[in-house]
Amino acid sequence: MNNLREYFHTNWAAMTLHDWLGLIITVGAFLGMVWIYSYAFNPKNKDRFESQRQIPFDEENSDSENEK
Amino acid sequence: MEETKYDFDVVRWFTIMAVVYLVVGTLVGVFIASELAWPALNMDIAEITFGRLRPLHTNAVIFAFGGCALFATSFYAVQRTGNTSLWSPKMAWFTFWGWNLIIVAAVITLPLGITQSKEYAELEWPIDLAIAVVWLSWGLNFIMTIAKRKTSHIYVANWFFMGMFVMITYLHVVNSLAIPVGLWKSYSIFSGVQDAMIQWWWGHNAVGFYLTAGFLGMMYYFVPKQANRPVFSYRLSVLHFWALMFGYVWLGAHHLQYTALPDWTGSLGAAVSLAMIIPSWGGAINGMMTLSGAWDKLRTDYILRFLIMSLAFYAMSTFEGPVMSSKTVNALSHYTDWTIGHVHSGALGWVGMVAAGSLYHLVEKLWNTRMYSAKLVNTHFWTATIGTVVYITAMWVSGIMQGLMWRDYDEFGTLTYTFAESVAAMHPYYAMRAIGGAIYWLGGVIMLYNVIMTVRQAAAQRSTAAARA
Repeated sequence: MNNLREYFHTNWAAMTLHDWLGLIITVGAFLGMVWIYSYAFNPKNKDRFESQRQIPFDEENSDSENEK
Repeated sequence: MEETKYDFDVVRWFTIMAVVYLVVGTLVGVFIASELAWPALNMDIAEITFGRLRPLHTNAVIFAFGGCALFATSFYAVQRTGNTSLWSPKMAWFTFWGWNLIIVAAVITLPLGITQSKEYAELEWPIDLAIAVVWLSWGLNFIMTIAKRKTSHIYVANWFFMGMFVMITYLHVVNSLAIPVGLWKSYSIFSGVQDAMIQWWWGHNAVGFYLTAGFLGMMYYFVPKQANRPVFSYRLSVLHFWALMFGYVWLGAHHLQYTALPDWTGSLGAAVSLAMIIPSWGGAINGMMTLSGAWDKLRTDYILRFLIMSLAFYAMSTFEGPVMSSKTVNALSHYTDWTIGHVHSGALGWVGMVAAGSLYHLVEKLWNTRMYSAKLVNTHFWTATIGTVVYITAMWVSGIMQGLMWRDYDEFGTLTYTFAESVAAMHPYYAMRAIGGAIYWLGGVIMLYNVIMTVRQAAAQRSTAAARA
């Protein structure tokens, strides 16, 4: 336990602006990913997502005859 | 219902130029591969030596072929999925001519030795500025076309194209920051290890966002369209997109293991690389499973074969890359031909094949006809597959052998082999690589012939129809 505490010891006073920015962006990106995974895999949102699969087949017109 | 009018002329020209650049870019590749096997081919002419032509090859295949394929497919998919025409057809033509002029500038300057010496970003500062302007013209046109779409949702393929646009814009700008000291000479504003880190932050993300995200945009539109089935899981495609956007930017440091870069940076790069296997394989499986229940289509649809085979190579190279980034494997693989084999399994197998499949689909749709010869599409498929396999196998074997020879030492701690001995041992594999590349190039020539004949066939069909009317 002592070793672990030593391993994770951080000198917070020595943190520079870059260190803080890096830390915030890293943790923010991680939390963002967790949110996206939980949102996309939430069964309540399944139909909402999967209904978009058809978009390439919903084109109102056929092929190049409708060109300008 | 009001009919949608599409702007396909510029898409047609980007399509044709993509196929032309496929042939030219791979021909230069075959030549420089042959120079490594048979150095006499240099003919003591500085402009055609490996060092001058290698950046021309990479720029031709990545930016000329890849760029034209991306512009063609993105301008097509955004119109079709949004049921709308381009925001500005004139700006699309500006993108077309601007991009092609940049390619001409690369063809002139690189053999003359005018270079910033940054891998995949060799072009000097005036051309870098032109790239930024033309790239922004494509991005603005693409985003504004999305803004005027007639559908409520933005289809996932367009998300990938937009992600590529955002990331490549700032990667290109930051990596190209330089102080000009003349019209054709500049120095990077970064120095030492920071310069190396910025270079590989760009270098790996050119792979991650240009050659992966952009071509995944292609995959998510053209695989379902060619298979005539919706994508297997839309949720998985959304996760694939966001995981790629969040994850890829961290990987560049894995190119600099065992260098002056802080050790933790390389470890972080390797750790995120390994984590990226999950979304990459999720995406590959999503594409392949789109064929679920209709695998028999692969027997008869040669265009679909390209698309599905490309996903197999995508899965393979996105597994191999993270493995190579881990410090233990990197200690053997780095600076060897294994890296060249890896990058070509992605470039020839994934990028080349998904683009070929998408371009064949486009040609049939844009000229409203079937390919002149389905047999030639199949011949191209097999030459591309065999050429890729021969190439990457040669490089795997030579790379691992190189790494083992460099690290081997005897009981006195003396290196067993000189560097020159390791170079001599590479010769058969360099010859084999040139042959593999030549087979792949031949496939490109077959495709170009087939596309030209298809366009001529479509013109003849239109004249006949007009005469009958």
